[in-house]
Amino acid sequence: MRFRTVISNANLLLRVVQSIDKLAKSAILKLTPEKLHIIVVTDIDSGLQLWSDVAVHALFAEYQIESLHRNEIHLEFSIDNLQRALKSAQGAVRTTMKLTKKHGLPVLAIVVQNLSITGSEMTLCQDVPIRVLTPAQMDMVREPLVPDSQVHIMMPPLNSMRSIAERIKAMGDRVAVSANRDGELTIGVANDLVEITTFFRGLENLTYDSTQPSANPTPDRGPTEFYSAVVDMRNFVRFLQSYHVAPKNIVCCIIEHHAVVFYVYIGAAGYGGVGALNDQACGSLTYFIPVRQV
Amino acid sequence: MANKREYSAADPEQTLFTAKLINVRPLVNMLRTISFRPRALCTISPVGIVFTVEDSRCIVAQAYLRTTLFATFNYNTHLAHEQNKVQQQAASFSQDREDSSESDGINEATQIVLPLDNLIECLTLFYGPSGAGSLSGFTSSHHVTGVQSTSVLLGNSNPLDLRGATTAHIAFNGPGSDFELMLEERGIISVCRLATFVPEPPVDLEFSRFPVVQQLIIRSEWLRDAFNELDPTSEAVTISISASAPYFRISTIGSNGSTEMTYSKDEKILDSFFCNVEQENRYKLSQILKCKQALAMSDKTKIRVNQRGFLSFQFMIPTDVDVSFVNFVYAPLLYADELVDGTETHCV
Repeated sequence: MRFRTVISNANLLLRVVQSIDKLAKSAILKLTPEKLHIIVVTDIDSGLQLWSDVAVHALFAEYQIESLHRNEIHLEFSIDNLQRALKSAQGAVRTTMKLTKKHGLPVLAIVVQNLSITGSEMTLCQDVPIRVLTPAQMDMVREPLVPDSQVHIMMPPLNSMRSIAERIKAMGDRVAVSANRDGELTIGVANDLVEITTFFRGLENLTYDSTQPSANPTPDRGPTEFYSAVVDMRNFVRFLQSYHVAPKNIVCCIIEHHAVVFYVYIGAAGYGGVGALNDQACGSLTYFIPVRQV
Repeated sequence: MANKREYSAADPEQTLFTAKLINVRPLVNMLRTISFRPRALCTISPVGIVFTVEDSRCIVAQAYLRTTLFATFNYNTHLAHEQNKVQQQAASFSQDREDSSESDGINEATQIVLPLDNLIECLTLFYGPSGAGSLSGFTSSHHVTGVQSTSVLLGNSNPLDLRGATTAHIAFNGPGSDFELMLEERGIISVCRLATFVPEPPVDLEFSRFPVVQQLIIRSEWLRDAFNELDPTSEAVTISISASAPYFRISTIGSNGSTEMTYSKDEKILDSFFCNVEQENRYKLSQILKCKQALAMSDKTKIRVNQRGFLSFQFMIPTDVDVSFVNFVYAPLLYADELVDGTETHCV
């Protein structure tokens, strides 16, 4: 098993890792010849899951990977450790990353080369401890199968939704996320004493073609009728509180009785417009929030 | 949850009570001054709304919201009469009362009990994660570090700062229905429904039933100073008013020693002073301190004591339209040898 690369876009890699920082302590890094995947599973049944992928060419140069298992390598790492190492790589002259062993333990060795004020070279080595996953272990980690969603809608500015979610989170342990095909998205909470529904309007709906090449189910409701999924409040708030690598580019998809899924499309610079959804996207993050089982 | 969502304002013609506020801040500030209990009695009438909060039969606080505080205020008196008549008939039917003369004095007001803390949470939905831009430093009733002046509390140099203001439409269709709020800020709309409860007979400390024997009006900043000096370890605070010096004294005795604040009858300090009976009364300090938010927001405070030693603080709070009032009435603590059997209300 061999892996070594030059990190050409440390900034983008850092921002992807930052977006998972609040979700969990550790995550899975899956490296393939074409893509880098980061996977977070907070709870296999009821928790929020994040599946992300970024094209190798958007992050790395001189990328070399070799393994007995389709040239893929699967690692488990601490998010905090990797984040800190990548922070020190920001603005560096050259950063390399390779899989190696230090004191008999496997690590991702990140070497950052910088110029000091006086012009001399400074080299910083950071070793991020990792655990290599066997192919059998990796096979158990599967992306959730989700039926086609009934409605897709662009999210409103996240900070307004986040501040409202912070205010309502104490009022109930579940939140109903609903959307229609008329540009409206609502979040609702209820308990014995109070019921609050907040409407975000004027949002852009996406048609099926842009996100799902698969079958297009005939809509069974009028455009102003809502589709709704009830999810755990903590999972929803955790998603909103995450750092977002492209906060203006988040699509919300609702699959009734099943899940709410948020897709974030990353352009090469990290801020791609809606057009980046298809052509210029170099990666995506998919947040799965399952419907709360009673 | 219904698939179709509605968020248009209720029809004033068909609904018992509807009102609109351009900015919820004055209402929120008033409600926060009496929010020391989770539930409040809400009385709606043609002249406005009164929120009443009571604790342990020894403190009753009321916030008076006159119709001028609202952009629109529609109280359908005719509908109120109908509803109250139905309610009274139901009550007398179940109590098997013969006397029907009660029905002549039908109150045109509507009374229900609301979850006050939830109401404030709803009104402040758009305030931001921490509720900033509000009296966040004073929501705790037990940490009394000091009372500041109004402009500092409102958080900026312009006390009428209405930037980013939430507008609210209120609707209520009588006992049995929810209390509805439709809030809007920057294109985002929140529809809130609060459960309502049938009120129990309210606790009335009957302040006005007995003659007022002592009265003064004091600028609130002076009273704030006095409150800041009070020893929080003391169980009680003594208020003494007399026609001769010292005219007005507030004192405590606690584990840290004793404190005394005395005010002379100087016009610059005490206004409209009269004292017909010299009296010294003790009140439970922890209850007295519950009025600190109202005190903080007010310019002037009218203090009155009645013949039975009950104390009334009336706080005059400026709003952009006119002055609003918040009232606190306290029952006195009695010494053990003064306890009387009977119907008098005592604070213990």
